[in-house]
Amino acid sequence: MTRGTLRRAVRLLDLDPRRFALALLLGTLALGCGVALAAVSAWLIARASQMPPVLQLSVATVAVRAFGIGRGVLRYLERLVSHDVALRGMTELRTTLYERLAAARPDTLLRVRRGDLLARVGADVDTVGDVVVRGLLPAGVAAALGAGTVLAMCAFWPPAGLALAACLVLAGVVAPAIAARAARTTEQRAVQSRADMNATALGLLDDAGPLLVGGRAGSELAALRASDRRLAAATDAGAGPAAVAAGLGQLAVGVAMLGALLTGVPAVGAGLLTPVELAVVVLTPLAAFEATSLLPAAAIQVQRSRAAAVRVLALLDAPPDVPATDTAAGRPPLVATDLACGWPGTAPVVTGLTLDLRPGRSVAIVGPSGTGKTTTLLTLAGLLPRQAGTLTLDGHDVDHLDRHAVAAAVVVGTEDAHVFGTTVLENLRVARGDLTAAEATEVLARVGLAEWLVGLPDGLDTVVGPDARTVSGGERRRLLVARALVSPAELLLVDEPAEHLDPERADALVTDLLNDPRGVVVVTHRLSPLAAADEVVLLDAGRVLARGSHADLAATVPDYRDAWERERAID
Amino acid sequence: MRPLDPRLLRHARAARGYVALTAALGVLTAALVVAQALLLARALGAAVSDGATLEVLAPTIVWLAVVVAVRTLVTATQERFAHRAATRTIAELREQVVAHAVALGPRWLASGEGPSVVTLATRGLDALEPYFVRYLPQLVLAATVTPGVLLVVLGLDWISAGILVVVIPLVPIFMVLVGRLTQGRSEQGLVAMQRLGTQVLDLLAGLPTLRAHGRERGPGARVRTLGDAHRQATMGTLRIAFLSGMVLELLTTLSVALVAVGIGLRLVEGHLDLVTGIAVLVLAPEVFLPLRQVGVQFHAAADGVAAAGRAFEVLETPLPPNGTRTAPDLRTATLRLDGVAVRTSGGCTPHGLDLVLPPGTVVALTGPSGVGKTTALEVVLGLLRPDDGRASIDGVDLAEIDLPSVWTQVSWLPQRPVLEPGTIAELVGGDEASRAAAAALTGLDAVLATLPDGWATSLGRGGAGLSLGQRQRVALTCTLLAATPLVVLDEPTAHLDAAGEQVVLDTVRALRHAGRTVLLVAHRPSLVAVADDVVHVRSTAAVLA
Repeated sequence: MTRGTLRRAVRLLDLDPRRFALALLLGTLALGCGVALAAVSAWLIARASQMPPVLQLSVATVAVRAFGIGRGVLRYLERLVSHDVALRGMTELRTTLYERLAAARPDTLLRVRRGDLLARVGADVDTVGDVVVRGLLPAGVAAALGAGTVLAMCAFWPPAGLALAACLVLAGVVAPAIAARAARTTEQRAVQSRADMNATALGLLDDAGPLLVGGRAGSELAALRASDRRLAAATDAGAGPAAVAAGLGQLAVGVAMLGALLTGVPAVGAGLLTPVELAVVVLTPLAAFEATSLLPAAAIQVQRSRAAAVRVLALLDAPPDVPATDTAAGRPPLVATDLACGWPGTAPVVTGLTLDLRPGRSVAIVGPSGTGKTTTLLTLAGLLPRQAGTLTLDGHDVDHLDRHAVAAAVVVGTEDAHVFGTTVLENLRVARGDLTAAEATEVLARVGLAEWLVGLPDGLDTVVGPDARTVSGGERRRLLVARALVSPAELLLVDEPAEHLDPERADALVTDLLNDPRGVVVVTHRLSPLAAADEVVLLDAGRVLARGSHADLAATVPDYRDAWERERAID
Repeated sequence: MRPLDPRLLRHARAARGYVALTAALGVLTAALVVAQALLLARALGAAVSDGATLEVLAPTIVWLAVVVAVRTLVTATQERFAHRAATRTIAELREQVVAHAVALGPRWLASGEGPSVVTLATRGLDALEPYFVRYLPQLVLAATVTPGVLLVVLGLDWISAGILVVVIPLVPIFMVLVGRLTQGRSEQGLVAMQRLGTQVLDLLAGLPTLRAHGRERGPGARVRTLGDAHRQATMGTLRIAFLSGMVLELLTTLSVALVAVGIGLRLVEGHLDLVTGIAVLVLAPEVFLPLRQVGVQFHAAADGVAAAGRAFEVLETPLPPNGTRTAPDLRTATLRLDGVAVRTSGGCTPHGLDLVLPPGTVVALTGPSGVGKTTALEVVLGLLRPDDGRASIDGVDLAEIDLPSVWTQVSWLPQRPVLEPGTIAELVGGDEASRAAAAALTGLDAVLATLPDGWATSLGRGGAGLSLGQRQRVALTCTLLAATPLVVLDEPTAHLDAAGEQVVLDTVRALRHAGRTVLLVAHRPSLVAVADDVVHVRSTAAVLA
């Protein structure tokens, strides 16, 4: 973790320098009022004890009250300005994050776990933003105020001013550094146990039923307790230095006061300092430490923000998608030659795939579970980089085309596609923005969701959730198929549309898809409806085992025939 | 917000000792604050008015140094134990919340408040740390230093004490005001923030889908709009929250200023001596300091208290009473459901379900998706009480039975198999020969052949490293080797192709052959065909027929 990380992340917050400077000024003036209040009160009392004419004190009495009011008002303004600056920054960073990810290589997002994404976009961005209000600003205010107070004290009596400066450094630099180190120690030691704790707690809550019935809930709870104990041990390791830091902060105030007394009293005797000035020099330091008292927390905040910045930047630094060099519009046919499909950095799961897809043509891809059919679809849609072979749309290499041109021609509906936390209609409109309610009702009926729609409390305006708790597995799958169907693209790639359906409905749905006038690739493990396909591609062990019409394969490929017969026997 | 919720002390042992320590240190701090002010006043007063030298002041200054040293120690001690207490309290609450939520069962976890427990247990409770480390000590100081110092000021100069006494009651009044205004709003703010969070996350989680449709560019503006809306809402809350804070600060600072002016004027008239004046001047801000700190830490602490409050809500959700009778032996006992119905939002799923499960038979539950087949299984397993009807074993109501004594007799394969971390061999159990035989039947042998370490392959939590279909085979093998009389299979053929389906059929036959009772949810006719009895599940909810 380099020092530049936080700086880069803060730059991404795109803070308004004028607003930030204003917050800094207001903060310094607010705490400055507190220091001035202490100094003027000390002067007032010491001078008053010499019983001068009351008129000589009138300026001081007014000033004391003015500082008393100024402090509160200025502090209020500073807090409003600084929070506004920080919140603006967080929105900026979140938007940038979204936009960068939208333009990143498509496989980047497919790799980040959902929970991790939540943490980074949510809490981590907040933590980076917090550095403004809780880190940078207090540090800036403390520095400005400390310098100002020391200079003012030096004007009265330089040794007392220097003693104050030393104590301010102790409280404002040394103590925060120790506190930050303590926090780092804890954090580093706690990382693993915190991860264990999270995983165990999540596992327990996600799979409560199976764990209870399996008799494992007890042992998992014990594991949770154990990871929490390790977490506590890590905290203890950091608590010692944290205590030292807190003690130092307290000690600095006392030493500054003692220092002023010890240097000031002889100076009065020597005539270098008036008695009234001595009172000011001794009593002012008590107020000067208010700004530094916030700094240990600020140092810890800086550190937390830096750690969060590392995680946020890792997302931001995802390799960007290569810019399009070919401005041709994406048009069928989609032609794949000798395609090798697989996740970047891993061995290909499918090799030697050749495919020609154009409107009016339907292809079914079948094969045992786990043969990489989904990966193949993502590659055909240009969403995963292919590992070998060529892939063209109307003769243009898909890699060189604009991503939107490709998406306009080929749309893939994978089984893990996202159901957004919005209405049914809006979920369908993801594929086509101008979809009318009537069209939506029609397409839902086509995929067999007519009755489901009737049963929804608000019909098309019913809000469905991303957590799939509001829709069953089968409903969700068909909703995704419906979404692929409303897409204006001329080529559709659909992944296992019939999962969770009874055989009759499953076959009807697959048949309907294969008969769609557009170009369609359907991945399925049901063989019975494949007579409707123009071509069936049988995958096995990462390559094309056989291809041809359903009738051809049934006649010539024993494995295919066996599987089909077994399916019919089972039904 | 209650400053110190007694439930916290009741539920978290670590919190009790800490509160006691903090109280003791609070009293000590009050004494030290007073001592420091009096000693400083004496030294400074003598130096200013009488021109006392260092030699004369030496004893006072030494005592002052001692007080400074002790205050340093007290502060350090407080800090040392605050972190520890916070971590332990959070851990205690977390364990209790998770244990209680698990005991409340999967249905509770999936509905209403349930899903938020995950966030509460993993992150929400951490908000208690600032409450313990920062807020609570200041609260105690407000109860010790503030009245203690005030009494001393009263003894020194009753007029100054009078000013302070007039202002002090205003402080809690404004604190309550702050509390009133912010509590509702901070809860609203939390809700708004969570909503924003989920909406932004929803967009990000759906980004691959948006990209697949070439529509990823538009929502960028939406992320910004959501962020701006959130900022405006938050600033609205803060303007009011900070306003109360400002009035509080104005009152306290201004009253200190008034005390200073009052002392000054009386010093001029000779009604007061300088030492008393300095002591009161130094002490006056100390009266308000803890109160102000309480105000400063209030927001951070409020989150912690809100999180703790939610934890107590979970802990106070009554558990269904657990039965005490030991379950009859399922090798000979018959489990049955009579007219079972479970109410859900759309109606009853299932409705009027009768099911008899004689030992050694295979019974299939069929019906369209969403009709309540999985729910029926949860009723059979005792994880869910039926709203209507009765679940019983040999005439004994399931509610009266100690459920763990049922569960030890059951193997349950849910739709998504839950595998322990460990090697496949450890997971599956049994000796080498029986393992191999079972694996041959469930097709796990083919999976093992592709794994370099075979049986010794280590799986992560949840079976990470295997595909869903492969996990299913591991789970089936476990089921086969477990010696439980009852086997419950929820859609065992999902995620499997025809060859995989054959494996399930073979497994079910083997289970029946071994004399075990099987209850399964089946979509496919092949599975239905192996069953001795088929129960069609119905519901009153609008589902797909």
